[in-house]
Amino acid sequence: MDCDDCLERLYTFLDTELSVEERAAVRSHIERCHDCGGHFELESRFLEQLRDCCTSDAAPPVLRERVIERLRGDLTADG
Amino acid sequence: MSTDPFETEALSFIDALYRTALRMTRSEADAQDLVQETYIRALRFRDQFTPGTNLKAWLFRILTNAFINTYRRRKTQPEFTELDDVDEFSLYRRMSEVRAASSSADPEQEFLDGIVDVEVKDALEELPEKFRSVVLLDVEGFSYKEIAEMLEIPIGTVMSRLHRGRKFLQRRLLDLAQDRGIAALRTAPQGRKG
Repeated sequence: MDCDDCLERLYTFLDTELSVEERAAVRSHIERCHDCGGHFELESRFLEQLRDCCTSDAAPPVLRERVIERLRGDLTADG
Repeated sequence: MSTDPFETEALSFIDALYRTALRMTRSEADAQDLVQETYIRALRFRDQFTPGTNLKAWLFRILTNAFINTYRRRKTQPEFTELDDVDEFSLYRRMSEVRAASSSADPEQEFLDGIVDVEVKDALEELPEKFRSVVLLDVEGFSYKEIAEMLEIPIGTVMSRLHRGRKFLQRRLLDLAQDRGIAALRTAPQGRKG
Protein backbone atom coordinates (compact mmCIF):
# COMPACT_ATOMS: atom_id res chain seq x y z
CA MET A 1 0.00 0.00 0.00
CA ASP A 2 1.44 3.40 -0.95
CA CYS A 3 0.66 6.79 0.60
CA ASP A 4 -2.10 7.63 -1.89
CA ASP A 5 -3.86 4.31 -1.27
CA CYS A 6 -3.49 4.83 2.44
CA LEU A 7 -4.82 8.41 2.49
CA GLU A 8 -7.71 7.39 0.27
CA ARG A 9 -8.78 5.07 3.08
CA LEU A 10 -8.29 7.60 5.85
CA TYR A 11 -11.95 8.14 6.72
CA THR A 12 -13.09 4.59 6.07
CA PHE A 13 -10.35 3.46 8.45
CA LEU A 14 -11.23 6.00 11.16
CA ASP A 15 -14.94 5.22 10.71
CA THR A 16 -14.15 1.49 11.13
CA GLU A 17 -15.74 0.74 7.78
CA LEU A 18 -12.81 -1.22 6.28
CA SER A 19 -12.48 -4.98 5.98
CA VAL A 20 -10.12 -6.68 8.43
CA GLU A 21 -7.49 -7.14 5.70
CA GLU A 22 -7.61 -3.54 4.51
CA ARG A 23 -7.55 -2.30 8.06
CA ALA A 24 -4.39 -4.29 8.77
CA ALA A 25 -2.76 -2.98 5.57
CA VAL A 26 -3.54 0.63 6.49
CA ARG A 27 -2.34 0.13 10.05
CA SER A 28 0.93 -1.35 8.90
CA HIS A 29 1.48 1.57 6.49
CA ILE A 30 0.78 4.31 9.05
CA GLU A 31 3.08 2.65 11.56
CA ARG A 32 5.92 2.91 9.06
CA CYS A 33 5.07 6.21 7.37
CA HIS A 34 5.48 9.30 9.53
CA ASP A 35 3.57 11.59 7.16
CA CYS A 36 0.51 9.34 6.81
CA GLY A 37 0.61 8.62 10.53
CA GLY A 38 0.47 12.36 11.18
CA HIS A 39 -2.51 12.74 8.83
CA PHE A 40 -4.43 9.97 10.55
CA GLU A 41 -3.67 11.18 14.03
CA LEU A 42 -4.72 14.77 13.37
CA GLU A 43 -7.91 13.70 11.58
CA SER A 44 -8.78 11.33 14.38
CA ARG A 45 -8.35 14.07 16.98
CA PHE A 46 -10.40 16.46 14.88
CA LEU A 47 -13.28 14.00 14.53
CA GLU A 48 -13.26 13.36 18.25
CA GLN A 49 -13.46 17.10 18.93
CA LEU A 50 -16.24 17.51 16.37
CA ARG A 51 -18.22 14.69 17.97
CA ASP A 52 -17.79 16.21 21.43
CA CYS A 53 -18.99 19.60 20.25
CA CYS A 54 -21.97 18.16 18.39
CA THR A 55 -23.28 15.80 21.02
CA SER A 56 -23.39 18.01 24.10
CA ASP A 57 -26.86 19.54 23.66
CA ALA A 58 -29.85 18.25 25.59
CA ALA A 59 -33.52 18.53 24.67
CA PRO A 60 -35.39 21.31 26.51
CA PRO A 61 -37.22 19.89 29.57
CA VAL A 62 -40.52 21.25 28.21
CA LEU A 63 -40.14 19.14 25.07
CA ARG A 64 -39.54 16.00 27.10
CA GLU A 65 -42.68 16.73 29.15
CA ARG A 66 -44.72 17.40 26.03
CA VAL A 67 -43.57 14.19 24.39
CA ILE A 68 -44.39 12.16 27.50
CA GLU A 69 -47.84 13.76 27.64
CA ARG A 70 -48.48 12.94 24.00
CA LEU A 71 -47.26 9.37 24.43
CA ARG A 72 -49.45 8.86 27.47
CA GLY A 73 -52.77 10.29 26.63
CA ASP A 74 -53.11 11.66 23.25
CA LEU A 75 -52.14 9.03 20.76
CA THR A 76 -55.10 9.43 18.53
CA ALA A 77 -55.19 13.22 18.40
CA ASP A 78 -52.71 14.29 15.82
CA GLY A 79 -53.06 17.99 15.49
CA MET B 1 -44.75 6.60 35.82
CA SER B 2 -43.82 4.77 32.66
CA THR B 3 -43.21 1.08 32.96
CA ASP B 4 -43.29 0.47 29.23
CA PRO B 5 -39.69 -0.51 28.34
CA PHE B 6 -40.16 0.56 24.71
CA GLU B 7 -41.25 4.01 25.80
CA THR B 8 -38.48 4.33 28.36
CA GLU B 9 -35.79 3.30 25.91
CA ALA B 10 -37.22 5.50 23.16
CA LEU B 11 -37.23 8.50 25.49
CA SER B 12 -33.54 7.94 26.31
CA PHE B 13 -32.75 9.12 22.76
CA ILE B 14 -34.64 12.41 22.98
CA ASP B 15 -31.47 14.51 23.43
CA ALA B 16 -29.83 12.98 20.37
CA LEU B 17 -33.01 13.35 18.29
CA TYR B 18 -33.51 16.94 19.37
CA ARG B 19 -29.96 18.18 18.71
CA THR B 20 -29.99 16.52 15.29
CA ALA B 21 -33.42 17.98 14.47
CA LEU B 22 -32.26 21.39 15.65
CA ARG B 23 -29.29 21.41 13.30
CA MET B 24 -31.25 19.94 10.43
CA THR B 25 -34.11 22.47 10.64
CA ARG B 26 -32.06 25.34 12.13
CA SER B 27 -35.14 26.30 14.14
CA GLU B 28 -35.96 25.43 17.75
CA ALA B 29 -39.71 25.40 17.11
CA ASP B 30 -39.38 23.17 14.03
CA ALA B 31 -36.98 20.87 15.88
CA GLN B 32 -39.46 20.44 18.73
CA ASP B 33 -42.29 19.71 16.29
CA LEU B 34 -40.12 17.23 14.43
CA VAL B 35 -39.18 15.37 17.60
CA GLN B 36 -42.79 15.19 18.77
CA GLU B 37 -43.84 13.93 15.36
CA THR B 38 -41.09 11.31 15.53
CA TYR B 39 -42.36 9.93 18.86
CA ILE B 40 -45.96 9.94 17.75
CA ARG B 41 -45.09 7.97 14.63
CA ALA B 42 -42.80 5.66 16.59
CA LEU B 43 -45.58 4.73 18.96
CA ARG B 44 -48.11 4.36 16.19
CA PHE B 45 -45.83 2.08 14.19
CA ARG B 46 -44.12 0.33 17.09
CA ASP B 47 -45.32 -3.04 15.78
CA GLN B 48 -42.94 -2.53 12.87
CA PHE B 49 -39.95 -2.31 15.20
CA THR B 50 -38.14 -5.61 15.70
CA PRO B 51 -37.23 -5.96 19.38
CA GLY B 52 -33.54 -6.51 19.89
CA THR B 53 -32.58 -4.39 16.87
CA ASN B 54 -31.24 -0.85 17.05
CA LEU B 55 -34.01 1.38 18.42
CA LYS B 56 -31.91 4.54 18.08
CA ALA B 57 -31.41 3.87 14.36
CA TRP B 58 -35.12 3.12 13.93
CA LEU B 59 -36.11 6.41 15.60
CA PHE B 60 -33.58 8.33 13.52
CA ARG B 61 -35.02 6.76 10.38
CA ILE B 62 -38.43 8.12 11.36
CA LEU B 63 -36.92 11.53 12.15
CA THR B 64 -35.02 11.85 8.87
CA ASN B 65 -38.03 10.63 6.94
CA ALA B 66 -40.28 13.24 8.56
CA PHE B 67 -37.63 15.88 7.96
CA ILE B 68 -37.29 15.01 4.28
CA ASN B 69 -41.04 14.90 3.73
CA THR B 70 -41.96 18.02 5.65
CA TYR B 71 -39.10 20.44 5.93
CA ARG B 72 -37.01 19.77 2.90
CA ARG B 73 -40.06 20.28 0.70
CA ARG B 74 -40.51 23.75 2.05
CA LYS B 75 -37.28 24.89 0.49
CA THR B 76 -37.88 27.14 -2.41
CA GLN B 77 -34.41 26.95 -3.86
CA PRO B 78 -32.70 23.62 -4.37
CA GLU B 79 -29.06 23.49 -3.33
CA PHE B 80 -26.82 23.01 -6.30
CA THR B 81 -23.51 23.19 -4.54
CA GLU B 82 -21.40 20.06 -4.54
CA LEU B 83 -18.60 21.58 -2.44
CA ASP B 84 -16.09 20.11 -4.85
CA ASP B 85 -13.70 22.96 -4.06
CA VAL B 86 -12.96 21.41 -0.66
CA ASP B 87 -11.56 18.18 -2.08
CA GLU B 88 -8.04 19.53 -2.19
CA PHE B 89 -8.12 20.82 1.36
CA SER B 90 -5.92 18.91 3.78
CA LEU B 91 -5.97 19.84 7.44
CA TYR B 92 -2.64 18.11 7.95
CA ARG B 93 -0.92 20.02 5.14
CA ARG B 94 -2.36 23.33 6.29
CA MET B 95 -1.24 22.58 9.82
CA SER B 96 2.23 21.63 8.53
CA GLU B 97 2.56 25.12 7.06
CA VAL B 98 1.39 26.59 10.35
CA ARG B 99 3.79 24.42 12.33
CA ALA B 100 6.78 25.56 10.30
CA ALA B 101 6.07 29.20 11.11
CA SER B 102 4.79 28.80 14.66
CA SER B 103 6.63 29.12 17.92
CA SER B 104 4.11 26.83 19.61
CA ALA B 105 5.19 23.30 20.49
CA ASP B 106 1.81 21.90 19.51
CA PRO B 107 -0.23 24.16 17.23
CA GLU B 108 -2.53 21.25 16.34
CA GLN B 109 -3.58 20.89 19.95
CA GLU B 110 -4.08 24.64 20.28
CA PHE B 111 -6.28 24.58 17.21
CA LEU B 112 -8.32 21.60 18.44
CA ASP B 113 -8.64 22.96 21.98
CA GLY B 114 -9.77 26.29 20.58
CA ILE B 115 -12.66 24.78 18.66
CA VAL B 116 -15.74 25.76 20.59
CA ASP B 117 -19.28 24.50 20.30
CA VAL B 118 -20.63 27.79 19.01
CA GLU B 119 -18.18 27.88 16.10
CA VAL B 120 -18.96 24.30 15.18
CA LYS B 121 -22.66 25.16 15.19
CA ASP B 122 -22.07 28.20 12.98
CA ALA B 123 -19.90 26.21 10.60
CA LEU B 124 -22.54 23.47 10.44
CA GLU B 125 -25.20 26.05 9.62
CA GLU B 126 -23.14 27.17 6.66
CA LEU B 127 -22.82 23.61 5.42
CA PRO B 128 -25.44 22.82 2.75
CA GLU B 129 -28.22 20.59 4.06
CA LYS B 130 -27.43 17.40 2.17
CA PHE B 131 -23.90 17.39 3.58
CA ARG B 132 -25.01 18.54 7.01
CA SER B 133 -27.47 15.67 7.45
CA VAL B 134 -24.77 13.09 6.75
CA VAL B 135 -22.31 14.74 9.15
CA LEU B 136 -24.96 14.96 11.90
CA LEU B 137 -25.92 11.31 11.56
CA ASP B 138 -22.25 10.34 11.59
CA VAL B 139 -21.54 12.15 14.85
CA GLU B 140 -24.45 10.25 16.39
CA GLY B 141 -22.51 7.08 15.68
CA PHE B 142 -24.36 5.55 12.73
CA SER B 143 -22.60 3.44 10.13
CA TYR B 144 -22.41 4.36 6.44
CA LYS B 145 -25.05 1.71 5.73
CA GLU B 146 -27.43 3.03 8.39
CA ILE B 147 -27.03 6.61 7.14
CA ALA B 148 -27.60 5.44 3.55
CA GLU B 149 -30.84 3.75 4.59
CA MET B 150 -32.05 6.74 6.58
CA LEU B 151 -31.45 9.24 3.81
CA GLU B 152 -32.23 6.80 0.98
CA ILE B 153 -28.98 7.48 -0.83
CA PRO B 154 -26.22 5.09 -1.95
CA ILE B 155 -23.35 4.32 0.45
CA GLY B 156 -20.89 5.92 -1.98
CA THR B 157 -22.86 9.16 -1.73
CA VAL B 158 -22.75 8.96 2.09
CA MET B 159 -18.97 8.60 1.89
CA SER B 160 -18.43 11.48 -0.50
CA ARG B 161 -20.79 13.82 1.39
CA LEU B 162 -19.17 12.94 4.70
CA HIS B 163 -15.73 13.50 3.21
CA ARG B 164 -16.64 16.90 1.79
CA GLY B 165 -18.67 17.90 4.82
CA ARG B 166 -15.74 17.23 7.13
CA LYS B 167 -13.29 19.07 4.88
CA PHE B 168 -15.63 22.05 4.71
CA LEU B 169 -15.88 22.17 8.50
CA GLN B 170 -12.12 21.82 8.94
CA ARG B 171 -11.39 24.63 6.53
CA ARG B 172 -14.02 26.88 8.08
CA LEU B 173 -12.92 26.17 11.66
CA LEU B 174 -9.28 26.72 10.82
CA ASP B 175 -10.13 30.02 9.11
CA LEU B 176 -12.13 31.06 12.16
CA ALA B 177 -9.27 30.12 14.48
CA GLN B 178 -6.85 32.15 12.39
CA ASP B 179 -9.27 35.09 12.32
CA ARG B 180 -9.52 34.89 16.08
CA GLY B 181 -5.76 35.28 16.04
CA ILE B 182 -4.71 32.20 17.94
CA ALA B 183 -1.00 32.94 18.30
CA ALA B 184 0.07 29.42 17.45
CA LEU B 185 -1.75 29.57 14.12
CA ARG B 186 -0.21 32.75 12.83
CA THR B 187 1.65 32.13 9.65
CA ALA B 188 2.16 35.75 8.69
CA PRO B 189 2.03 39.08 10.49
CA GLN B 190 -1.61 39.80 11.31
CA GLY B 191 -3.16 42.56 9.27
CA ARG B 192 -4.65 45.50 11.08
CA LYS B 193 -8.39 45.60 11.48
CA GLY B 194 -10.44 48.25 9.81
